[in-house]
Amino acid sequence: MPFVRGLDLALVLWPSFLAACGASLLFFAAVDPALLRDAGPRVFAGLEREAGYALGFLFFWAVAAVASALSVYLIRTARTPPAATHAASDER
Amino acid sequence: MASVTPLPPPASPAPFYAAAAKVYPREIDGRFSRLRKLAVVLLLGLFYGLAWLDWNGHQGLLFDLPARKFHIFGLTLWPQDFLYLTLLLIVAALSLFFFTALAGRLWCGYACPQTVWTELFVWIEQWTEGSRSQRMKLDRAPWSAAKLLRKGTKQLLWVALALFTGFTFVGYFTPIRSLGSQLLSLSLGPWQSFWVLLYSLATYGNAGFLREQVCKYMCPYARFQSAMFDEDTLVISYDGKRGEPRGARRRGTEPRSLGLGDCIDCTMCVQACPTGIDIRAGLQYECIACGACIDACDEVMDKMGSARGLIRYTTGHALQGARTRLLRPRLLVYALLIGGAVGVLTFSLLTRTPLILDVLRDRNALYREVHGGLIENAYTLKMINLDDRPHRYRLTVSGMPGLGIVVPAGDILLPPGSVNSIPARLAAAAEAAGGVHHIVLTLATVDGSGIAVHENTRFIGPSP
Ligand code: SF4
Ligand code: SF4
Repeated sequence: MPFVRGLDLALVLWPSFLAACGASLLFFAAVDPALLRDAGPRVFAGLEREAGYALGFLFFWAVAAVASALSVYLIRTARTPPAATHAASDER
Repeated sequence: MASVTPLPPPASPAPFYAAAAKVYPREIDGRFSRLRKLAVVLLLGLFYGLAWLDWNGHQGLLFDLPARKFHIFGLTLWPQDFLYLTLLLIVAALSLFFFTALAGRLWCGYACPQTVWTELFVWIEQWTEGSRSQRMKLDRAPWSAAKLLRKGTKQLLWVALALFTGFTFVGYFTPIRSLGSQLLSLSLGPWQSFWVLLYSLATYGNAGFLREQVCKYMCPYARFQSAMFDEDTLVISYDGKRGEPRGARRRGTEPRSLGLGDCIDCTMCVQACPTGIDIRAGLQYECIACGACIDACDEVMDKMGSARGLIRYTTGHALQGARTRLLRPRLLVYALLIGGAVGVLTFSLLTRTPLILDVLRDRNALYREVHGGLIENAYTLKMINLDDRPHRYRLTVSGMPGLGIVVPAGDILLPPGSVNSIPARLAAAAEAAGGVHHIVLTLATVDGSGIAVHENTRFIGPSP
């Protein structure tokens, strides 16, 4: 299955965006980003809460995007497209 | 079409994006279009308006992330109240299931932000670029001053609207009035600017540029909604039995005499469809149930002198001539679950005490003998005032005669929201203190607001 440029980009960015929204919601409901500033490593000194939320969100998005990208990569580089093999075996 | 199961997605994703031809939905009038306009005005009115509504001196609806508290009119919620948000999300998800099983994609057609903002953007497009045919002509025409003016005005309005939308959105998470004055004095913080721009970009991209492609290629709900459909779900369908064979004919001719069905193959339903599909090919997962094709076809049927409803809301069973059962076990189960979750939510909100008290016993020593023949136990109290204003509290103890509080000696003042940790020491005369006593610590306001919590713990003395 060949790569499709626009589509693959969307398939990487969009589901990971949704996942990042969910992860941020859960994570920041439990963890106050000010905690990173007060008790976290030195690099976070002076971090505003707003910045903490944004950085957290971007971090989750990036991690999820890596996972999405791997999925797309594995699907695209498979010799036999998985969708096709399934369709052949269990449809109709 | 006998079955209401949406057709499977196209097998090969290759023609996505590249081949996605621009859809020029035809403007139509009718029952469903008016309903949708009403929904758009109502929902967007709420969205743009509610942010400015004040309540008891603060913004009525404010998910104040910088301060980590949610104002929902009279109610203030803290991160400790996460349970309510969870319950609310569960109710929302179950309601989506319920309405989907009952009447298909009502959400998509009327309430989804994607539909609502796209509608608004399309109105601007119609206003600046004209009707469907005018828009198509304009796009084909070479660039000219007139084209530039029309396209430029549209883009200007779109961008302005998108920015205002992004601003309003962020205004639900940080107080909108101060956000507004910061914006006017050009002193918006970098992160606020980031969120405003991100949401503006999303609005512009989704409602102006991607539109139906969001529903077709990006929306997970569009793909799994078929799992909630059954043959009794109300869906928008073309009545093939009545319409086929389709074909053109002159007005006033009796179709049956020509061997034709009621569909005159005018393709109005296709032109009206915002996702660019042909409903006559059967229910498809691209159909967002907006009802535009119903309105379009009803108008055609009126003109032809035929009965309305060649395309209509109906069920798979009705189309097969079977009886439709609206009340089905699946719906009852959804309704029961929704009722249960709403009940739990209401009950826990009504009985919510805006105060948390946790009592931890000192781990180092079971008890201490202090001068005066007293036995003392040490504790740590963790207290959170969940109200939206400070309160003065008093600690009392019960369950053991002769037990007194050494510290805290006076009243405790707690600011709203923060977690406060203070040491406490209880003492009793050695003669009375032997063994393990189950006691109750009570923290109650002394300002007449009647907020109190009780916490069980133990007082331990030397074994008798
Ligand atoms: S098929 Fe009809 S109801 Fe479905 S999206 Fe198109 S116009 Fe709307
Ligand atoms: S609008 Fe009605 S009559 Fe015209 S093509 Fe569609 S179904 Fe047939």
